[in-house]
Amino acid sequence: MAEWVKVGSAGEVPDGEVTAFSAGDRQIAIANLDGDLHAFDDVCTHQQCSLAEGELEGTTIECPCHGSMFDVTSGEAIGGPAVDPVGVFEVKEEEGELRVLVDEE
Amino acid sequence: MTAFVVVGAGEAGGTAAATLREEGFDGDVVLIGAEPMAPYERPPLSKEYLRGESDHVYVRPPGWYEEHAIQTRFGTRVERVHVADAVVELEGGERVAYDQVVIATGSRNRHPPIPGLDLPGVLDLRSAPDADAIKEAAKSGSKAVMVGMGFIGAEVAASLRELGLDVTVVEVFETPLEHVVGPEIGGAIEALHRDHGVEMIFRDGAERFEGDGRFEALVTKQGRRIEGDFAVIGVGVEAVTDVAGDGIPVDNGIPVDATLKTAVDKVWAIGDVARHDHPVFGPIRVEHFDNAMKMGQLVARNLLGARAVFDDAHWFWSDQYDANIQMAGFATEWDDMVVRGSIEDRSFSAFLLKEGQLLSTFSMNRTSDVRRSMPLIAAMAQPEREQLADPELDLRKLHPPKE
Repeated sequence: MAEWVKVGSAGEVPDGEVTAFSAGDRQIAIANLDGDLHAFDDVCTHQQCSLAEGELEGTTIECPCHGSMFDVTSGEAIGGPAVDPVGVFEVKEEEGELRVLVDEE
Repeated sequence: MTAFVVVGAGEAGGTAAATLREEGFDGDVVLIGAEPMAPYERPPLSKEYLRGESDHVYVRPPGWYEEHAIQTRFGTRVERVHVADAVVELEGGERVAYDQVVIATGSRNRHPPIPGLDLPGVLDLRSAPDADAIKEAAKSGSKAVMVGMGFIGAEVAASLRELGLDVTVVEVFETPLEHVVGPEIGGAIEALHRDHGVEMIFRDGAERFEGDGRFEALVTKQGRRIEGDFAVIGVGVEAVTDVAGDGIPVDNGIPVDATLKTAVDKVWAIGDVARHDHPVFGPIRVEHFDNAMKMGQLVARNLLGARAVFDDAHWFWSDQYDANIQMAGFATEWDDMVVRGSIEDRSFSAFLLKEGQLLSTFSMNRTSDVRRSMPLIAAMAQPEREQLADPELDLRKLHPPKE
């Protein structure tokens, strides 16, 4: 069952930036594209580096370690050595909180 | 039906064949490689794979090629590309006709004529079986003697130290990687390895390997005798151009234009073997993973008529211990180097410039500088020294305006 989990505060991710948050034992990255938030697995499917430390260009996040590229809106692997996509999550700001919809494990 | 034949099934060749299908090509694709495995990534072989932390990382899952109707001939060496007949001759004499052929035969390790090089226990690293041999030697041995401290040497030294072995490296230059990055950055890499317990001997080289039926010691040119359980030699690579020679020019690899096409009709070359005419750097041959992958993608699109130019700024990484090293661009000589951050603290970027133009960026643990400098390198920009040196300045602010 999926559940909305608070990971931070509303407004915590500035425009054009990506920040990593913990949701239980998951690391989730949240990107802010012109005010639209996109949440995705922070762990690169190539060699497990933190994607939030990478470069965000348009809708593409580029892994800081080995250059794998993912579309932050779909999670799709679109370049670099990674082949598998990263998971994406619904995200919203509500009641001053930053919340992500994650599956209970 | 149109037939595209790819000669060489490494990162470049595998990516080229796969990209043809991913771009919607439905003619014949034949992928021929001397190695028996499906195309795999080589970077882990000196790092995670060598340390037993990861299994093979494949370019595409091994079953992918059959699923996508790519004919594979793994474990099959190509003897020659016969351009007059437009056929590829395999070992044993079989001939495969092509409409277009892509040469992606890569490079092989240099084996200088050092006495004793053929002794069991004198190893080198290029392929997965090579990595397996080093892994095996590291299991039973406790002391490795290495010759050469380029990127592969440095990575293998780091992995062997992490596995708990004693490591001594002999290197002819004054620091690791001196001929690639200069003595100052080389010194930072030396310090990193010294702190992790690698014994390094510079300005010395291999005279001979000694042993009674098996490696026992390296004797250096300066007369040192360094004993060990096995040796690993890493002194560079050379392009594998054996399949050319029947009308395909060879000159430090196989020369191609900016679209990766050779001077010969229907013949292309990519990856380590391709000396490509780069719009910023001129004719260069690049022996890195990212280049192999991106050339594989681009040649596939060009085979399908795109006529795209390969203008990537070039980029690679090298993980050593907990240091993430990255480098972008290409510079064989430079007249100025600007450092931002701290070399001592191992958090720095070094910008290599010639006549004011940024040619290359090297970084240890400041990787965003490398990525952000690539548009500057591609644009042949001449950034101000103070701006490059300012760790607070985001290099994206210096990017040329987007079209």
